[in-house]
Amino acid sequence: MDITGEYRIAASREIVWSALNDPDVLRQCIPGCKELEAKSPEEMDAKVALKVGPVSATFSGNVRLEDIVAPEGYTLIGQGNGGIAGFAKGRALVRLAEAGGHTVLSYEARAEIGGKLASLGSRLIQSTSRKLAGQFFDSFAAHLGGKRATADAPVSAEVDDLELIHHTQNT
Amino acid sequence: MKCRGFRYCRVLTVEEAVESFVSCEGEARFLAGGQSLLPALNLRLSAPDLLIDISRVEGLRGITLEGSDLRIGALTRHVEVLHSPLVAEYAPLLARAARFVAHPAIRNLGTFGGSLALADPASEFPACVLALNAQIEIAGLSGRRRVAADDYFLGLYETALEPGEILTAVYIPAGRTWQRVCFDELSRRRGDYALAGLAAQATFRDGGEVLTALRLVFCALGSKPMRAQAAEAALLNTKVDAVAIEAAQHALSQDLSPDEAEDLSSAARLHLARVLLGRVAHALREGAC
Repeated sequence: MDITGEYRIAASREIVWSALNDPDVLRQCIPGCKELEAKSPEEMDAKVALKVGPVSATFSGNVRLEDIVAPEGYTLIGQGNGGIAGFAKGRALVRLAEAGGHTVLSYEARAEIGGKLASLGSRLIQSTSRKLAGQFFDSFAAHLGGKRATADAPVSAEVDDLELIHHTQNT
Repeated sequence: MKCRGFRYCRVLTVEEAVESFVSCEGEARFLAGGQSLLPALNLRLSAPDLLIDISRVEGLRGITLEGSDLRIGALTRHVEVLHSPLVAEYAPLLARAARFVAHPAIRNLGTFGGSLALADPASEFPACVLALNAQIEIAGLSGRRRVAADDYFLGLYETALEPGEILTAVYIPAGRTWQRVCFDELSRRRGDYALAGLAAQATFRDGGEVLTALRLVFCALGSKPMRAQAAEAALLNTKVDAVAIEAAQHALSQDLSPDEAEDLSSAARLHLARVLLGRVAHALREGAC
């Protein structure tokens, strides 16, 4: 049940790659991220506030980068403990491809939850993950000079900064 | 489990409620019927600093006919919608759907406005309000405004309500131009979250044979109530015969791409939606409410 999406970003792959490795950029783009502190180039401590419907909890956890192949991609892994509410984990496989001076960013993400969260949230985990992954990559693409794209108003060709090829969709 | 400690205040006017929300330094939540909020607090999925009890705010309860609209106050309980003669006459779709809302104990306390403010994608009333083409009245710091149901439901638990705003009432066109309504739902057990639900309003002409107007809205098949316009188009100006119903069921894949959830694949959920559409279309043709 992976969630996938693809963006065309009007920047070189090196620029996109360095943004993907910049904790400041990640902090701004991770939905609800309150704190993100680098412990090493591959590992960061994070505090993320999640607010979706009946759930409003702050998760303490970490963000880790694995399978790093510069500048082609990595796997972004986040996990957090929301105390008594339960835990949440998510991972996103991110790939960067060169396309005529632009960069095509594609991702596959999945998430799981446990504890009390799962008892109320398991029917909505897919919708919630899609929403959060979409918010992260929308913000990320926007950070590199694009306009925010939504499923209802896809960015059209006249917007030269960022072209949304496929918004999040099921595979 | 018990909830974390919180402060509590009871307000008697909408203005007071909004002021309390705005002046709260931590996280504040409005408490109405409490049938979703209190379980979430007890499971510690949410731990607000302040609960603002709006359940005794004047003017937010009751069902009245105002001009050409049926007005349902936000604090009206599900059970009142279920048994209201005005709802039965002017918005029978809601009475049909109310029977599917949770269990009697929850219907006795849960509020109509609370259901719409939470906007759980599996809830029945949001789908009905969209099918009924209703207007949602919202009060906030800058006064009151009305939002069409089409523009109210934005996404997963996301509505046009801004923080600190209160849903005060729903206005439903009561022209009785819609001749036939139907609500049906599939769930594993009665009262469980719906696997698929469908609210429909239809008008027929030529002696009640040809369908001329239709609104179909599904619940539990997307991140918000989902209007099925491709399926509507396939049924419009037909006699809703087997061929038209099959075309509408086929077209449904343009309207819905449900998420895989728990042990049901996306394809299985779409299949359930098609089964439900077939039942509801038959019921509309037969004139059933």
